[in-house]
Amino acid sequence: MIVRLALRLAQMLFVILAVVTIAFFVLRIAAGDPARLVNPPGTPEEIITQTRRRLGTDQPLLGQYVTFLGNLVRGDLGTTFRGSLPVRDAVLAALPNTLALAGLAVLAAAGIALLLGALAAWRPNGSLDRTVLGYAALAQATPAFWLGLVLVMFFSLQLRWFPAIDMTGPRSFVLPVVTLAVTLSPILVRTVRQSFIETQGEDFFRAARARGLGEVRLFTVHALKMASLPVITLIGLQLGFLLAGAVVVEAIFNWPGIGKLILDALGSRDFPMIQGGVLVAAIAFVVLNFVVDLLYRLLDPRVRVGAS
Amino acid sequence: MSDALPAVETAAPAPARRGRFTVRALVRRRAAVIGSTGLVLIAGLAVFAPWVAPHDPAAQDLGNILAPPFWDSAGSWEHPLGTDALGRDTASRLIHGARNSLMISFAAMLIGSLLGLAAGIVSGFFGGRVDTVTMRLGEIQLAFPFILLAIAILGVIPGRTPLHLILVLGIPGWIVYARVVRSRVLAERERDHVRAAAALGASRSRQLFRYVLPSVWQVVPVIAMLDIGFLVIMESMLSFLGLGLPPRFPSWGAMLAEGRRNMVISPWLSILPGLAIMLTVLSVNLTADGLADVFDPKLRKGTFRRTVLRLPERAEPDTANDDGAAVRRAAAPPQRSVGAGARHAPAASGAALLRVRDLKVEFPLPGRTIRAVRGVSFDLGHGETLGIVGESGSGKSVTALSIGQLLDSPGRVTGGQILFDGQDLTRISDRAMAALRGRRIAMIFQNPTASLSPVFSIGFQMREAIRRQGRLHRDEASRIAHDSLWAVGIGDPDRVLGQYPFQLSGGMNQRVMIAMAMAARPNLLIADEPTTALDVTTQAQILERLRDLVQAEGTSLIFITHDIALVAEHADRVVVMYAGQICESGPTEQVISEPRHPYTRALLESVPRPDLPAGVRLEAIPGELPDPARIPDGCPFAPRCPHVMDVCRTVNPDQFPVAPDHRAACHLWSPDRTKAGTP
Repeated sequence: MIVRLALRLAQMLFVILAVVTIAFFVLRIAAGDPARLVNPPGTPEEIITQTRRRLGTDQPLLGQYVTFLGNLVRGDLGTTFRGSLPVRDAVLAALPNTLALAGLAVLAAAGIALLLGALAAWRPNGSLDRTVLGYAALAQATPAFWLGLVLVMFFSLQLRWFPAIDMTGPRSFVLPVVTLAVTLSPILVRTVRQSFIETQGEDFFRAARARGLGEVRLFTVHALKMASLPVITLIGLQLGFLLAGAVVVEAIFNWPGIGKLILDALGSRDFPMIQGGVLVAAIAFVVLNFVVDLLYRLLDPRVRVGAS
Repeated sequence: MSDALPAVETAAPAPARRGRFTVRALVRRRAAVIGSTGLVLIAGLAVFAPWVAPHDPAAQDLGNILAPPFWDSAGSWEHPLGTDALGRDTASRLIHGARNSLMISFAAMLIGSLLGLAAGIVSGFFGGRVDTVTMRLGEIQLAFPFILLAIAILGVIPGRTPLHLILVLGIPGWIVYARVVRSRVLAERERDHVRAAAALGASRSRQLFRYVLPSVWQVVPVIAMLDIGFLVIMESMLSFLGLGLPPRFPSWGAMLAEGRRNMVISPWLSILPGLAIMLTVLSVNLTADGLADVFDPKLRKGTFRRTVLRLPERAEPDTANDDGAAVRRAAAPPQRSVGAGARHAPAASGAALLRVRDLKVEFPLPGRTIRAVRGVSFDLGHGETLGIVGESGSGKSVTALSIGQLLDSPGRVTGGQILFDGQDLTRISDRAMAALRGRRIAMIFQNPTASLSPVFSIGFQMREAIRRQGRLHRDEASRIAHDSLWAVGIGDPDRVLGQYPFQLSGGMNQRVMIAMAMAARPNLLIADEPTTALDVTTQAQILERLRDLVQAEGTSLIFITHDIALVAEHADRVVVMYAGQICESGPTEQVISEPRHPYTRALLESVPRPDLPAGVRLEAIPGELPDPARIPDGCPFAPRCPHVMDVCRTVNPDQFPVAPDHRAACHLWSPDRTKAGTP
């Protein structure tokens, strides 16, 4: 158990290191000289050289990388090009906002999926089933950024129920969370439906029914627990998709999270900020993957007990 | 439960592939037709965009900005979908947007699929270290927020071109293709004909191109289609964020981002590009679903759906002339000497606990109907043990499931009665039936481990079942669970209660199932091949325990098995089933010692007996069960019967009495046999 945990931690560290490294080199190579990007075009060479020295980009790339890693270990993500603020503070301030948004969206998506999936599986091929499958097909074809805009047009501009942008309070969470949850839901809905249908064909389901358990109990306890397992696996697999969705939703709703931070930094070519944002998002991604794994172990005795 | 759906599994595995004409297939196909039609239309617009588009997508008309679409009162057909903030024609920009979006997505798909195909084939075909490295790379990529990096890369590249976009979108897709292709290659490589070709000295490249690739090709189009749908969304997302196509190329995502600024005055500028994306992705996905259906038709498992019979109830079920097939018998309380090997048939007196009358069960499948049970009648007395014996597909398990009203769809009782304590189970409400299950009618099944949920502990499942029967407190339920486990011979109930089914042996799980069933002290226990999956020693122990329990409780038992020797040992009465019918029924002793039906005789002759001298050949029954969808007229056993007569091929025999309380459905015992001629 301890060995496996250690291995797992080592693997997580490796992935984070890989992300950091790739982000560092790819950004440098793709973007060219940061000193030129910071200064407006036509800046005299002396000033460019000065800027280089100030940013530390006059050093060889490998040396910069080593310095960067060293700082990273000490928890120093550098300072922003513009305004010379600590990147760490900015990133850590943005992270909870993204996590809250994404977390609520995942919960909402799982809720939608379990409800719709179970309803659809109640009578496969029935009208309810076809409606749910239709929803899944539509939701899968709907881009998050468009859904967000349409929701804003209708619920904010027309009905004035929810704020259109900014994180201002509980009500401001509704539209971004719904947007993200709906775009996450279709695969989950299909999976839950499939799982419920499969479970209904299992011997143990029939045996439980033969024991006199009612339909409600069969569905809400036995089938639900079976269906929750693939849902958790899928949520783990969709974390990347969730991350991308969060970036878009943050852009639409002007949400002060990591995604918006990265997009803004891209706009102003603020390298340390881009790097810091990508790094923190990567760490969150890896850690969440780990949490999903733990959750799966907790719920599936075959994995939990089988291993010990 | 291997023969719960005998016909579907054994009789017709092959023709199911093409002949499946169900509502679902129809709906899916219609959806696929709509999807591919939409896709062709959109692709047509994309390909012929320069000729189809009414205007130059880049032509600005600052005198006519934000013109409304044609359905608005101020709209005009000059710009059917209006104009944007620079006076450019929305319709033309949408059409060119389709061109760009599909081109980018298609190109990215090509890159991803070619990379993935190559990696998957190499990985699967050569295996070893190449395989390990490739798949590890893929895992790392999947454990990696690639999208973020893509956004960052596209954000900082100076002078972004469509090629950058194609590469960034396309390359990460390789792993999806590689995984599927690899597993397909691995599977193909192990196929007999490929191994044979390898053994005959076919070169590796010939094996690959001649045998493996043709099958691998089938999986790629489906993934490619789904991939395009995903890429269309990703491309427009990046363009929306200002990280996609350079501004001079019209793009749906960028149009949306621009339209957003005039959201209040011209909502259509934001809504239309999104609709275009949706329609495209929907068409692509529906087409992919259709392709998947063509390439990979999956058989779907049935689900439970109880059908309550709406037929008028018959006046008196026990009049013995239900189609002349009813067994007239009443049963008596148990009169068994504990431990005695031979069983005595109880004398007739009092009412039976269970009366099955002319039971008919059908499985309507596309194009044919499987008649799994065709007019079965029998009685079961209080405390009596009835053995139902027959081959897989004889209808014995379906009969058992009908009594529990647990048939999976499309199976349904189409006629007859199942009278349990006077109530017709085929006609009572679902609620009333659920109240009987577990409490008064309990069942145990063939595969004990699969009959328990893998994700709940034994204790949870037992307490759940027990509390359901009596609304008991948790502790009380735990105590009953503990005692029941003890009663079935489990020495350490506390440990077992905390365990999961996969941690226990099949024999232990079956003990748990019996404990659970008997904890509610049911009137009727149906044991459907309870020991078939277990080894012989365990089988003997469990059956003995089961016998003791039902005797102690006075429970009536229906014991279903294919093993006539077990019936001889454990049952008071026996019913022999063949092709959905009863061919012989009577007191066990009498049926075993004087079998009247040729099928019963054949069954008995195929049982190994210790009294036979070594070297005596056991008789196998020649031929097979008839196709349950096409049971011939006449006696179903006629094609395999050594005594077959002409009449057997045309007339299905009635249940003829052959001795007191002993009947055989065989023309040999027909009262007017003289007319039919002798064998």
